[in-house]
Amino acid sequence: MTIDIPFIWTAFKEIIKSLPITLILTLVPLAIGFLIGLTVALVRIYKTRFLYQAANGYVSFFRGTPIIMHIMVIYYGIPLLIDQVSSKFDLNIQTNKIPIILFVLIALSLAAGAYLSEIIRSGIISVSTGQLEAAYSVGMTKYQAMFRIVLPQALALSIPNFTNLFVGFLHTSSIAFLVSEKELTGAANIVASTNLKFLEAFIAAGIVYWGLTIMVEGISFLLEKKVTSYSRGGVS
Amino acid sequence: MINLKGIKKSFNKSEVLKGINLKIEKGEVVTILGPSGSGKTTLLRCLNFLEKPDGGMVQIGNIKVDTEKATKKEMLTIRKQSAMVFQHYNLFAHKTVLQNVMEGLIVAKRVKKKDARYRSELVLEKVGLKDKLHHYPSQLSGGQQQRVGIARALALNPEVILFDEPTSALDPELVGEVLSVIKTIAKEGITMVVVTHEMSFAREVSDRVLFMDGGVIVEEGTPLEIFHAPKEERTRRFLQRISGDSFFPPLKERVN
Amino acid sequence: MGKAFDPSLIIEFIPTLFHYLGVTLQILAASIFLGLILGVAAAIPRMFKIPILNQLVILYVSFIRGTPILIQLFLVFYGLPAVLQIIKIDVSKLEAIYFVIITYAISNGAGFSEIFRGAIRAVDKGQTEAAYSVGMTSTQNFFRIVMPQALRIAFPNVANSVIGSLKDTSLAFTIGVMDMMGRGDTLISATAHALEVYISLSIIYYSVVLLFEKTLGKLEKYFNRYQKADLSAAA
Ligand SMILES: Nc1ncnc2c1ncn2[C@@H]1O[C@H](COP(=O)(O)OP(=O)(O)O)[C@@H](O)[C@H]1O
Ligand SMILES: [Mg+2]
Repeated sequence: MTIDIPFIWTAFKEIIKSLPITLILTLVPLAIGFLIGLTVALVRIYKTRFLYQAANGYVSFFRGTPIIMHIMVIYYGIPLLIDQVSSKFDLNIQTNKIPIILFVLIALSLAAGAYLSEIIRSGIISVSTGQLEAAYSVGMTKYQAMFRIVLPQALALSIPNFTNLFVGFLHTSSIAFLVSEKELTGAANIVASTNLKFLEAFIAAGIVYWGLTIMVEGISFLLEKKVTSYSRGGVS
Repeated sequence: MINLKGIKKSFNKSEVLKGINLKIEKGEVVTILGPSGSGKTTLLRCLNFLEKPDGGMVQIGNIKVDTEKATKKEMLTIRKQSAMVFQHYNLFAHKTVLQNVMEGLIVAKRVKKKDARYRSELVLEKVGLKDKLHHYPSQLSGGQQQRVGIARALALNPEVILFDEPTSALDPELVGEVLSVIKTIAKEGITMVVVTHEMSFAREVSDRVLFMDGGVIVEEGTPLEIFHAPKEERTRRFLQRISGDSFFPPLKERVN
Repeated sequence: MGKAFDPSLIIEFIPTLFHYLGVTLQILAASIFLGLILGVAAAIPRMFKIPILNQLVILYVSFIRGTPILIQLFLVFYGLPAVLQIIKIDVSKLEAIYFVIITYAISNGAGFSEIFRGAIRAVDKGQTEAAYSVGMTSTQNFFRIVMPQALRIAFPNVANSVIGSLKDTSLAFTIGVMDMMGRGDTLISATAHALEVYISLSIIYYSVVLLFEKTLGKLEKYFNRYQKADLSAAA
C-alpha cells in the first residue's frame, strides 16, 4: 500500500464541499448553547430556588457524559417520543421525515449549553467583587450591575475559553457522521470508501480541520486583543 | 442629614458593630479613625447597604429604613442617596474615565446622555482630569484613578459621599493630589464621611472626628478635642502609636 | 426504527455493558501512561528551544489541537500500517485496541506537553531566584523547587484531560474495538432497542466520570494541603 498523494488533493476538493454542514453543526449549537449557557449560569450564580438544582444537574450530566450519547439518545429518543404522542392524539406526524441534522443540532446545543454555562459562570466569578460593589454604590440594581458591569467583563475574560470550546465543537461535529450526516468527516468517509483510499481521504479531512482551527484561533487572538484592550495600561 | 440608630452587624457570630448611634448634619465632614479591624469599613458599608446590618435604623435625607425589615427596594433607595469612594478605586475596568462617571447618572439617575456627559466633564475638570476623558482606568496612575473615583461619586450629587481609606493604596507621592481634591470638595459643603489614617488631613478638614475600636464609637469630638485632649485612654494610645512612629526612629535602627 | 420503549431494559442492559468497562479503562490507563511519557518528552525541546525538534513539537501539538480525535483515530488506523510497511513491519493483524491506545496516547501527549510547559512557566520566577540565592544549581532548582510546584499547578489540568479522554474512548468502537460502546452496538443489532442501550451507556459513563471527578478532586485537595485555603479572603 502506497500513498497516492495527488488523490489527497482530489479528496480535498470533494470534502471541502461539505464545509457548510460542518459550520452549521458548529455555529448553530454554539449560538443556541450560548443562550442556554447564559441563563443557566445566572440561575447558578443567583442560586435561584428549584431551578438551581436542575441547572446543576443539567450541567453535571451533559459535561459528564460523552457527546455521542447525547446525539444517540436524542436521535433515537425524540422520534419515539413523537410517535407515542402522535399516536395518542392521532396527529399523524411522520418522524422519518424529520431531517437527522435537527436531532444532531438539538443534542449539540444542549451539550454546548452545559459547557458554556460553566465558562460564563467562571468568567463572572473572576470579575472582582469590587466591580459589583462600585456598581451598587452608584445606585445600580442587581440586574443593571450584572448586565452593564460584570457580564461584559466576564465575557471578554472568557474569550480564550470560548475559543477552546469553539474548536472543541468544530471537532465534535465530526461525530455527526456516525448518524450519516454528510459533513466533513462523513464526506471523507464516502470519498474513502468509494475509492478505497482511506488514508488519503482522512489526510485531506485532517488538513481541512487543521486549517479551520488555525483560522479560528487567529481570529480569536485578534478579537481578544481588541476586546480586552481596556485592561492593558501604559498608553497614556 | 444622616441618622444611624443601634446599627449592629456580625460576621460568623463575631460582632463587628455593636450598636452604632450616629447623627451627621448636612454639610458636615466627619472622619473616622481607629485601628485595623475596628469596624470602620463595615460601618460605611452598612450605611449604603453594601452590607446589610443585622439590626438598627438607617436614615439618609428623608429616607428612613428599619434594617431588619428592609426590602430590596428600600435598600436601593437608600443607596441612591449616597456614593462611595473605595480604597482600591474599583473603577469600571471596561469603561473609559468619562463613561465611568456617566454610568451612574445614566443608569441609576436616568439622566439624559447628553446632560450626563456635560455634567461628567465638568466634574472631571474639577478633579483635574479633563485631558484623560477617553483613557481606560488601566492607563492611569493610582492617584488619577482615585480622582476618577471621586468624580464618579461627586457627579451623582448624593446626600453623602463615603470615603473608605481613599489614599491608603496609593504610593506616598500620589497621596497629596488626592487629598487636595477631597479638601476642595469638603469646603463646598458636601456631606462626607471619611475613614482615613491621614492625621493631618483629619485635623485640617473635619468638623468632627470619631474614634472607633472594637465595634463601638469610643469617643468623638472636634479635631482639637480628639487630637489634643482625648478623654479616653484607648484614643490616646492609638494616636500615640500612629504619630509615635514618625517621631521616634525604630529601636532597631538605633542599636545598629 | 426500534421497538417500543421499555425502561426495564435499561436496568437489564447495564450489567451486560458494565462487563466491558474494563476494556474502556484499559484503553484509558495505557493511553494516559504513554501520553504522560510522550508529554514530558515533547515538553523538553519546547522549553530548552532545541532547534528543529522544537519546531517539530510545535507542529505536532498544532496538528493534534487542530483535528478531531475521530480523524486522528482513522489516520492512525489506516496510516500506521502503511508507514510501518515501508520498514517491513506487518501490523495488519494487530488488534484494533492497540491503534486506539496509540492514537489516544499521541493525542494526550500533545495536551500534556502543553500543560507541563504552562505549569513550569506558571511557577513564580522569584522561586528560581530564591533557589539560586541559596546556592542551588539550575538542575537542583528545577528538580527541588520548580518541578514540585509545577506538578501541583498541572494536576487539575491533567485530571481534566483524563476525564476528557475517558469520554473520548466512546469513539473507539468506530474502528471495531469491543468496548462498552462496541458491545452496545451488538446489543442493538440483537434487540433493536437502541435508545435503552444508549441510556444504559450514559448512566455507566456518567457514574464513572463522577467517580473519577470525586477521586481526582480529593487528590487535588491533598496536593494543595499546604496552600492557603482562600486567597480572596485577604484584603
Ligand atoms: N465580609 C466579611 N466576612 C467576615 N468577616 C468580615 C467581613 N468584613 C469584615 N469582617 C471582619 O470584621 C472586622 C471589621 O472589619 P472592617 O470593618 O473591615 O475593619 P476596619 O475597616 O476598621 O479595618 C474584622 O475583624 C474583619 O475581619
Ligand atoms: Mg477598612
